Amino acid sequence: MALKEKPALAVGATLDTRGDLWLAYQESGHLWVKRTNDDGRRFTPPVQVTPVPESVTADSENRPKILVGANGIVHLSWTQNLGERMTGYIRYARSTDDGKSFSPPVTLNSDRQIISHRFDTLATDGQGGVAVAWLDARSRIGKQPKGSPQTQVGVYAAVSRDGGARFAPDRRVADHSCQCCRTGMAWTKHGPIVFWRHVFGKNIRDFAVADVMGGTVIRVTDDEWEIDGCPHHGGGIAADGHDNLHIVWFTAGKNRQGIFYRRLAGPDFRSDDKLAGFGMMSPPMPLGNSANQPGHPSVVAIGERVLLSWREFDGERYSVRAMLSRDAGETWGAPQKLAETRGAADYAVPAINEQHALVVWNTADEGLRVLSVGAAP
Amino acid sequence: MKHFLCALLLAAIAPIAAAGELRPFTTDTLAEIRSQHAGRPFMLTLWSLTCHHCAKELRMLGKLAAKGSKLPLAIVSTDTPHDEQDIRAALKRFDLDHLDTWVFADPIPERLRHAIDPTWRGELPKSYLYDATHRPEAHSGALDESTLRKFLQSKGGTR
Repeated sequence: MALKEKPALAVGATLDTRGDLWLAYQESGHLWVKRTNDDGRRFTPPVQVTPVPESVTADSENRPKILVGANGIVHLSWTQNLGERMTGYIRYARSTDDGKSFSPPVTLNSDRQIISHRFDTLATDGQGGVAVAWLDARSRIGKQPKGSPQTQVGVYAAVSRDGGARFAPDRRVADHSCQCCRTGMAWTKHGPIVFWRHVFGKNIRDFAVADVMGGTVIRVTDDEWEIDGCPHHGGGIAADGHDNLHIVWFTAGKNRQGIFYRRLAGPDFRSDDKLAGFGMMSPPMPLGNSANQPGHPSVVAIGERVLLSWREFDGERYSVRAMLSRDAGETWGAPQKLAETRGAADYAVPAINEQHALVVWNTADEGLRVLSVGAAP
Repeated sequence: MKHFLCALLLAAIAPIAAAGELRPFTTDTLAEIRSQHAGRPFMLTLWSLTCHHCAKELRMLGKLAAKGSKLPLAIVSTDTPHDEQDIRAALKRFDLDHLDTWVFADPIPERLRHAIDPTWRGELPKSYLYDATHRPEAHSGALDESTLRKFLQSKGGTR
């Protein structure tokens, strides 16, 4: 089978406060950044982030992450593949000159074994606070009894208080993560909250959140998905202006199957500022047409507005769908179909700021599309 | 019985690929696999290089396949044809490289999943135990050896 290079369709995207859309993507062994201020018709010349070539993972559950703080600093995180499958280092770089140049990439995992440190997620408070969290197999090495069902992969994080110039040593947030689902992170007024597919008990693979600085594992889905296997299908999280958290996820659990949205309202912080729980968790709201394999949902939020996006496949075409709430997830506009394609496609990547709600979709046939989410509701 | 004879006849005249081939799996492939096993039970196993838990399943299948009995087994990787080299290396590691196996060959894996089972959402390993009438019994996650042995014994899978 003679083949072209495997396409790296998975991109990162974010809107800054001015309304520029920034993209991070892998091409020819490098990580690149470019931006547009006219919905993708024209982009700035790409700027190379990686000074020397490295294997930037950009496929399905793995993609480079990009965020621009209110202070204008551009933050990037990604997973560098180390040659062996399922191995990686967590990398970070930033720009303090509006994306003209980037700092030399640093590796945030202090453990430097050639093992899995992967599935990075990035969050910032827009000022000095920057956090990167990931799934890390360091505690598995040499400790796991052969055939043990319990995973020894944990959630780790590194936090900066000076806008990404320096990171404190990485820390373990939780043990027993599922191994190959993407993670998510949101920055509340109290700090970064990480979201991942946890392994509860022997093999229940439902979702959890934890305060990156506190570490109490709070279960946030009760799907009861018991599987001695790999879902390869995670979820996302976002914080609105009131510190409510909005989560989307996939499950094939006993209690429900498909993709879902839920609002975690009234976050309860202890006197030491650590997240202790929620006043209310809304009932899981199913997304998409269950006959069309709806999958890979993502969520972004700002102020009162929350944007969800996901992908469906109708037997012939992939489509991208989105839903917008203007009251912090209390009510929702109707789902909108934004675009279709007949070939390979990335997940739908949503982006939001005070003025715009967009979905970025990279497709093999039509290239990168910037899709505006309509004015509804 | 008629189907069984048909299958025998087909098996005798159809060009049979040399053992150990890695073939593209498309929307038509499951029908071909079923016709190869017409009137007889077989097991369809789906796995991926990116799946930790699949190693356990493949290791077990490798051991069973090495015990002399010819297992009615169709092993399908959900990776891409780009991954051929790594797929072959993994199958060799689990002593399964003498079998014909398949790899997903479609830019849209959802299409192939739907062709196999509209309710399967991509979790791995995934296996289907087809009885002699080809009614599938679906399993998500690593199959335990006793379930598979029971299937092979009760339904006459070993030949």
